[in-house]
Amino acid sequence: MASFTPNLEPAPDTSLQFKPKKPRITLQTPSSCPSNQRTQRIKRWRTQRDQHIYSSKLFQALRRSRRTSASREVHETADRVLAGLARGTTRWSRAILTARKVTKHKKAKLPTNNRLRKPDIYRERRKTPAVERKLKVLGRLVPGCRKLSFSNLIEETSDYIAALEMQVRAMTAITEFLCGGTGGGPQPPADRLPSNVNS
Amino acid sequence: MSSRRSRSRQSGASRITDDQIIDLVSKLQQLIPELRGRRPDKVSASKVLQETCNYIRSLHREVDGLSDRLSQLLASTDTDSDQAAIIRSLLM
Repeated sequence: MASFTPNLEPAPDTSLQFKPKKPRITLQTPSSCPSNQRTQRIKRWRTQRDQHIYSSKLFQALRRSRRTSASREVHETADRVLAGLARGTTRWSRAILTARKVTKHKKAKLPTNNRLRKPDIYRERRKTPAVERKLKVLGRLVPGCRKLSFSNLIEETSDYIAALEMQVRAMTAITEFLCGGTGGGPQPPADRLPSNVNS
Repeated sequence: MSSRRSRSRQSGASRITDDQIIDLVSKLQQLIPELRGRRPDKVSASKVLQETCNYIRSLHREVDGLSDRLSQLLASTDTDSDQAAIIRSLLM
């Protein structure tokens, strides 16, 4: 199992009590100080609070939906709630939210520039093709980032990875919760999770 | 590193400077658990990118597995109203 070591602050509230405050999304407009923004962005998906917010929202969404018998629906709901939490500040979140409305076709063929597929003799002029190739692969993995510039892609990737990690933690917590705490099946990494409900 | 000619057949993304490579390595390395302990100059950009892609894929798979389990659990506990009430009261 991949072992995450996220920068979780030693938050005092380890229970699942969710205080209904306004979620403190501190990502301001780009006019704010970049280093400050970046620090906030680093902390963004890693606090206990964000995870609680996501868990409760996801759980409510799952309870409300009647079609949760398919794992694909659950996955899409989880992605949608995750993207909703980002409040439209990142490209991948916007891509997830808009992709759901348009169509259910997976990976709809975007108008990629096929006319620019040059043969290999031109490719050696650029940077190492391996790096280029892998960047493209990365752009395909992160939703909505296929034609992004280099630095933007890196930013989106880091945010996306942090969000995915939080998603895994939250869903593991919910699963444990529904299982009754002791949890059958594969052991989730429970030592870092706030699963103190069944005492 | 190879030359930095700005010979761009396409506009934009084809010119990647060495600074960007260093930036990439430093930023992404912190995020990936496997590469975190290594020194930044010992990790190539290609490996960082490869590990990043692998990591994202493994996270996707994990979420898939979790949503699978969740769907089964929800199907089984949907009829249990007591538990649902408890859960709701704890989460709100």
